[in-house]
Amino acid sequence: MENEIELRQVTKAYGTLVAVREVSFAVQKGTVFGLLGPNGAGKTTLVNMLTTLLKPTSGSAFVGGYDVVRHGANIRSLIGVVPQENNLDRYLTARENLVLHAKMHGMHPSAYQRRIDELLSLMGLAERQKDFPNKFSTGMQRRLVVARALIHDPQILFLDEPTTGLDPQAKRAIWDYFLSLKRRRTLFLTTHNMEEADFLSDEISIIDNGSLIARGSSAQLKEAAENARFYEIEVVHRAEEYSRIFQQMPVIESASLQDGFIRVCLKKEGTLGALVEQIDPRDLKRISSREPSLEDVFLKLTGRRLRQ
Amino acid sequence: MRGAFCIWQRDMLVLRRNLFSEITTVLAFPLIFFITFGLGLKGYIQDIEGVPYALFVVPGLISMTAVLAAFDDASWGMWFHRIVQKTIEEYRVNPITVTDIIVGKIISGFTSGVFKGIAVGISLLLLTGFSFNLSFLAVYLIFIFFGCITFSCIGSLCGTLIDKPENLGRIEAVVIMPIIFLAGLFFPLSAYPQNVLPYIEAIPTTALFDGARIALLTGKADFFYLSLLLTSALVSFILAVWMFEKKIHG
Repeated sequence: MENEIELRQVTKAYGTLVAVREVSFAVQKGTVFGLLGPNGAGKTTLVNMLTTLLKPTSGSAFVGGYDVVRHGANIRSLIGVVPQENNLDRYLTARENLVLHAKMHGMHPSAYQRRIDELLSLMGLAERQKDFPNKFSTGMQRRLVVARALIHDPQILFLDEPTTGLDPQAKRAIWDYFLSLKRRRTLFLTTHNMEEADFLSDEISIIDNGSLIARGSSAQLKEAAENARFYEIEVVHRAEEYSRIFQQMPVIESASLQDGFIRVCLKKEGTLGALVEQIDPRDLKRISSREPSLEDVFLKLTGRRLRQ
Repeated sequence: MRGAFCIWQRDMLVLRRNLFSEITTVLAFPLIFFITFGLGLKGYIQDIEGVPYALFVVPGLISMTAVLAAFDDASWGMWFHRIVQKTIEEYRVNPITVTDIIVGKIISGFTSGVFKGIAVGISLLLLTGFSFNLSFLAVYLIFIFFGCITFSCIGSLCGTLIDKPENLGRIEAVVIMPIIFLAGLFFPLSAYPQNVLPYIEAIPTTALFDGARIALLTGKADFFYLSLLLTSALVSFILAVWMFEKKIHG
């Protein structure tokens, strides 16, 4: 299958600070590629290079077959970008924001007026199209930014934390829309939301400190973590105290408290007994094994949680 | 230049939408100057080189309003779009060039300056009964146009390079206002000592204010002033475009 995006040994440095270090990968046409990593890992820098906002310090990158350094204008006519920040024009109405974007893409009014009507309706903003974005909630502003990126029907969509600030219902509606674009469009998603990456992506790369540390489908990444053992422990009380005790134990890869459950990852099989011995039988309610999540994969690879 | 036109259209839409408040604000400043200097001092100051004092200051007030508006619009506009709204970043992911963006912003500043200068001009004409030979207007407007281009470019340059809003305000207070007031806005250049005069005449604002006044009152286009103003406009345009591209491309 044809590659829509390709990076070869791309590095971006600001003086001595290396934001992205020798990153290479390819994204196939018509797929959703998820770049997962914590804040400050280098995701946005990578997107900025691919959307021609930044030039790589070394290496080469191609989008839609065009070199990001030499053919910026060609690339920009192919792509739609949902940036991390809602950079809407607060002095233009919602509709005017979309019209300006369409004009910059050289669209004819007969084409963009119809398209804007469709997108405003899809994003649930048709009734508010004459309002200014500063009167919108964060979620509405986000939906308008997504609509703006879609006006010119881009071949490749760059989505930098696209559903940040959205309520679950709006998030789900946008995810469904992105999924409907799959196969016809290539989507490049950056997120620190494991659920989002898991739900949307055909392939996921994990980035940390500017370097790619793992790559594969969601299932492949989880499988790679299977050599560790994952358990969920429910205690009647003192959950925080037990979590702290487990973190000190040499047989434990990681332990954390989530939604009242202690989630542990053992370094090797057969060490569960040592862990159970630490729990007062009167406190123990339930122990169950569980499937690893992308969060576990990240934790196993880096020893840190995605959101710290 | 499609991008430049889109950005200019956007800025004009916003200007049109805020027309009343923009006009009110822009009229207040020169009218207060006219009342305090033109009317307040006219009883104490004789005619200046044969021109009544109140009429002497009018061409300068119109020019000052135009160039200050061009500077303000370009500098704060660029700063706001770059730092606050981050819309410059949005423009840059569209198939337009970085040059389109800066040229669009410069033209917007220029248009705003000319428009506000004309608004103040009409108001002062109605208020003061100031009359001039209509055939002199074209030469006067050439000075205003070059002045607005220069100040729009300088404004864009400041909006590109300065990140903190207080520093943008300081540039206006410490650089822009002094070069306007030094340029003989309220008094004739002949008031300066002979050894200082050549320096004052080398300031582009002198070329603008004195040149524009001479043009409106006599219909003459001073070649030296016009050349200096044209050079200033060219240099500031090249600098503004170059620095913006340098800043954006890192």
